[in-house]
Amino acid sequence: MSPETLAQIVLTGLTVGAMYALATIGLSLIWGSLGMLNMAHGVLLTIGGYSAYAAVSVAGLPWPMGIVAALLFGALIGLLLYLGVVRWMVGTANFETNIIIASFGVAIALENSILQIFGGQPFGQPLVMRGAVDVGLVSIPYQNIIIVVGSAGLMLVASYVMQQTRLGRAIRAVSQQRDAAGLMGVPVQRIFLIVLVFSGMLSAISGVMLTSSTQLAPALGQDPMIKAFIMCVVAGLGHIGGAVAMAFALAMVEAASQFWLGARWGFPVLLTLVILVLIVRPAGLFGRVSITRL
Amino acid sequence: MTSAPPNGNAGGLKVSDIVSGYGNQPVLHGLSLDIDPGTLVSVIGPNGHGKTTLLRTISGQVPLRSGHVLLNGTDVSGRSVDAITAAGIAHVPQGDLLFTGMTVYENLLMGAYLVRDRVLLQSRLDQVFALLPKLAERRNQVTDSLSGGERRMVGIGRGLMTGGQVLMLDEPSLGLAPIVIDTIYELVETLKADGRSILLVEESPERVVDFADRIYLLDNGEINWSGTADELNANDELLSTYLGV
Repeated sequence: MSPETLAQIVLTGLTVGAMYALATIGLSLIWGSLGMLNMAHGVLLTIGGYSAYAAVSVAGLPWPMGIVAALLFGALIGLLLYLGVVRWMVGTANFETNIIIASFGVAIALENSILQIFGGQPFGQPLVMRGAVDVGLVSIPYQNIIIVVGSAGLMLVASYVMQQTRLGRAIRAVSQQRDAAGLMGVPVQRIFLIVLVFSGMLSAISGVMLTSSTQLAPALGQDPMIKAFIMCVVAGLGHIGGAVAMAFALAMVEAASQFWLGARWGFPVLLTLVILVLIVRPAGLFGRVSITRL
Repeated sequence: MTSAPPNGNAGGLKVSDIVSGYGNQPVLHGLSLDIDPGTLVSVIGPNGHGKTTLLRTISGQVPLRSGHVLLNGTDVSGRSVDAITAAGIAHVPQGDLLFTGMTVYENLLMGAYLVRDRVLLQSRLDQVFALLPKLAERRNQVTDSLSGGERRMVGIGRGLMTGGQVLMLDEPSLGLAPIVIDTIYELVETLKADGRSILLVEESPERVVDFADRIYLLDNGEINWSGTADELNANDELLSTYLGV
């Protein structure tokens, strides 16, 4: 194998891995802290991309407003998800199963609203950085650099909030032992609201970056969401850093198998690896079997 | 073992005629009790008769259907769990319910979640470490690597960190070896000696008769006797009928 090939595989793995990682962060945060598999996560990614498009391409605002718009709409959807659904279902029997169905309903409604407002034809997303930099053997598009750095940045923000702040400690307390968290004076319902809004914002920003190298379409969030789901399960639920590491590792494997076995073998090889991991470690690589959920 | 007195903030708790339970099944049928500031009151009763439900109702985890909970004369019934903690009732739940993924130190910090003042936080932490030196040694250990007795200490320490004026302890002897129970009860006696108001729930009376100021016997969700420890000890019939001693 030539060094160029290796460099190309690593580069593809890094970029695709960063895309998977971007898609994973918001899902992992909600799942880990609330025990909620948010099926509306994919549509949050979509909304991030469309918000940037609406602000910059339609309303003609300067490009930073595209990011602001994505943050605002991500937060808004998170808020609505809490007020309309989660608030009423938290603490009820079979929350973990019922919330999957309820949030799936929200996802369908939102996706169809996007279809209604913007139509089904794909658009280009305006926040794109063109050009590339030549690094020895390969040429790296600026866009890919932004995606890799951006996913690392968002992961650091999420990890910092969770590990180092009073809010993060409260979120972890609610996820580990909800009754006791209340007894310590943690307003459990407000924590749910904050987590949904915060991860809505993270997901929308992820969506802006994800769509910068593809096109906007109402269903664009579905595929990244499935990948994100896989990363979360393999890493162990709610382990954000682990999920991001898995995103990069599995994307490398996918890129390598695409190169050696052919493009159509990438995803099957990835899934085979996932199944093998879960046979050996059912709770995921970084997960703990006795983890307590809400 | 001594600890600084809780700044003279021992509160009084009055529970009057409370009815509560799960689903349609009331567990407590109009129960009343009083805790005067600085006293230790113990509620004794067999399992499944509502002791834990009583504490969970006072702290707002089980909805109150009727009746009132008054802390220092202020009605706190109907408030949310976190608001009742903020008002000054510290509940150390049965089985500790620690944050198992966190260290001892982080668990204690969670106890003081509502404390924004760093100086106050540090003084509470010093107080708890002075009372429970074991926790200072183990401060950076994750709690699921601790022994049962150490976990119980973290649970109580975390409850003390809330700075509550009334401390509720739900079966602090549960699941521990006798020698460890002795240690935990020495701690409870120290807390009482410090002048705290304590509501202590236990299944068997022998641990508490020596130092409880007042004892309530709980039977099927109702108080069917109350009095001092001496009165209980003098009442052989009661001891043998209800408590099998």
